[in-house]
Amino acid sequence: MFGSETVDTRSVSRGMGGRKGVLGCWFLFAALMTGWGAGCANQAGGAMAAGAKAEASGPPPLAPLGPPPIPPDNKQTPEKIELGKLLFFDARLGGDASTGCSTCHEPAQGWAWAEDFSRGYPGTVHWRNSQTIINAAYYPRNFWAGSVPSLEEQARSAARGAVAGNGENDIMEARLALIPEYVERFRKVFGTEWPLIRDAWRAIAAYERTLVQTDTPLDRYLRGDESALTEQQLRGKKLFEGKAGCIRCHNGAMATDFDYYNTGVPPNRRWEEDGLAQITFRFEQYVKGQTEEGYRTAKSDWGFYYRTKNRWDKGKFRTPSLRYTMYTAPYMHNGVFYTLEEVVDFYDRGGMDEEGRTTPFPENKSKLIKPLGLTDEEKEDLLAFLEAFSGEEIIVEAPELPEYAPRFTRQELMEAKK
Amino acid sequence: MQLGKRRTFLAAVLGMVLIAPAVIAADIGPLPALKYDEAKAELGKRLFFDPRLSGNAGISCASCHVPENGFGSPTALSKGYPGSGNFRNAPTLINTAYKKIWLHDGRIGTNLDDLTREMITEDYIMNMDMRLMQERLKQDPVYVRMFKEAGYGEPSNGKVRKAIPEYLKSLTSRNVPFDNGTMSTAARRGMKLFTGKAGCVRCHDGPLFTDQKPHNTGVPENFDLFLDPMNHQAFLAFAMFQGIENYMNLKRDPGYYNVTLDKADMGKFITPTLRELKYTAPYMHNGMLETLEDVVAFYNAGGGADSNKSPLLKPLGLSKEERSDLVAFLLSLSGDPLTGEQYVWKEPYPEEYEAVTNWKEVRN
Repeated sequence: MFGSETVDTRSVSRGMGGRKGVLGCWFLFAALMTGWGAGCANQAGGAMAAGAKAEASGPPPLAPLGPPPIPPDNKQTPEKIELGKLLFFDARLGGDASTGCSTCHEPAQGWAWAEDFSRGYPGTVHWRNSQTIINAAYYPRNFWAGSVPSLEEQARSAARGAVAGNGENDIMEARLALIPEYVERFRKVFGTEWPLIRDAWRAIAAYERTLVQTDTPLDRYLRGDESALTEQQLRGKKLFEGKAGCIRCHNGAMATDFDYYNTGVPPNRRWEEDGLAQITFRFEQYVKGQTEEGYRTAKSDWGFYYRTKNRWDKGKFRTPSLRYTMYTAPYMHNGVFYTLEEVVDFYDRGGMDEEGRTTPFPENKSKLIKPLGLTDEEKEDLLAFLEAFSGEEIIVEAPELPEYAPRFTRQELMEAKK
Repeated sequence: MQLGKRRTFLAAVLGMVLIAPAVIAADIGPLPALKYDEAKAELGKRLFFDPRLSGNAGISCASCHVPENGFGSPTALSKGYPGSGNFRNAPTLINTAYKKIWLHDGRIGTNLDDLTREMITEDYIMNMDMRLMQERLKQDPVYVRMFKEAGYGEPSNGKVRKAIPEYLKSLTSRNVPFDNGTMSTAARRGMKLFTGKAGCVRCHDGPLFTDQKPHNTGVPENFDLFLDPMNHQAFLAFAMFQGIENYMNLKRDPGYYNVTLDKADMGKFITPTLRELKYTAPYMHNGMLETLEDVVAFYNAGGGADSNKSPLLKPLGLSKEERSDLVAFLLSLSGDPLTGEQYVWKEPYPEEYEAVTNWKEVRN
């Protein structure tokens, strides 16, 4: 875990253009805290260090977004990206050929799914909110608890999970082999005689690395165009960086520190009311390696805990980017808030919803989360500023997909020697 | 023929003089009764017909093992999991509990527990992550009650793999003319041919009418396996997973070769039972023969064309009448259809999963 994170953070800081010194140190530190301090940057043992960190240098400032990091073992080429686009939209990369990447990451729904829980594989529902693909390329680890170290791994994992794609490697690879256009494209891009499923994930990741947005009003402002933000947005920025303290976690070019926190998000009530969701809930406890007792008693998503198995990580999730959020409602790892207004109110109350519900693990709640005392006007300013993290909506038409063709002719089959 | 005579002679001598029971076991005859637990079998029945046992909740065991079709596939190639096809004909499950080796290529030779797991989890069959299946079952109060009543505790994967086999034990031949001694005269003449001139009994022996061994009889390939990419992809996934080399270029079903990876076993398939043939058309591992008349004609011609064909197969020279007698005998091996409530789960399944209402208070 440590090894891959340092590699990733180095490439991220390279991608941020010109900020390597400051950000590099910051990310390396975060990686150390996550890898060796078991994600306790704002907890018990790490509290002093984190405090010192914040006081010494403060959180890194917001920054314009540069090009995304490209892993050295999966270079971008136009042909690979084009193939990746086809595969992203091809539902045959899933168990029953109905559920591909774009099924839960629908361009018209913010490259995500506009319900609290992502739609799942037919016959199921997911248990977390589908995250946008836009700018996913900048995360050193993907999924809400950072369980995979790359987009390549994310694609593989999502395509195979029983409540996501439910596809197995062999059937998906077999399907690709029977689509002549794919055979040709994989041969050109990867040099293999037949498509390999792992190359499909690489092509998809390459395509996703083109789905970025680096020219938001905020980017333009930070690059020197002072007219890019309104007066109100500038007031919001001040709050963001000051009184509201958002920047403590939502910092840097991606407006996230890529670290894991329990901010007090309450469990999704759907688990109390929806039988299908209850099934998936228990299934996830099972597959994530819970203890028997944990499986029997868990009533909320334990988040980062599933990776570390440390009790102080229960209810922690990776700080999400604030970019493109205009299009990605609902919000939070479990989609409990349907508007950014609700999100701002949630933080203004110090991490609880309007009914006073909060995390079932208050002992793990970040000390950074406190009532903010924002006025209505300040909230509006903050919301106006949040809009500056989003540019135009990115809409891509689903491409026309190549078709299956029989591998052999009847003549060839008849002539086969037996 | 020579071999057959010698063997019959040998069996007769040994049977009379030395080890009578052992040799008689290989002779055709009625099946011994099977005992099973009613509550467990009842649970297994509900599971067998429940589409929620497949990944997308779209198909059940019974989707390919159709009761009206003798719990076999009515189509030459089974329909398989949605999004793909399949590459073989689902065989009858009636009397399957007596078998020692399962699947046309014989790749499962342990028990019905393993067979059940294979069918539920394979991506081209039911594509189910059994961990999710378990949670689905726990969400259905009827299952919670039935598992408990069956003495299985709470619903679990392991017990599904026990309950379905228990149900399969209930699927046995009922009221078979051959077993009851109520065969027609034509069938009696056919039986003589079966054990004599036609030599069928050399492979189709014992109460199940199968030696449960692999043979290559030269059944022609079903080209639909390859010409329909939906079927072909299921075959490729299978071949890939089984570790068969050069699978992209295979133009035939390798059969038992899959188990041994010995070229001598290419195109061999396990001898199927002849019981319940009345219901289980089309025939052969790939459904290539539509009627029993076709099957008899196929063997009368000495089987199909294959360089690896069993030397036991030679043209039989059966007259039209003899062929029809043989078919009459084959039909006398089928009993009552197992389509009543005793064998088929007819109650509807809930359309939605009920929520556990006091979810936060109860243990999962």
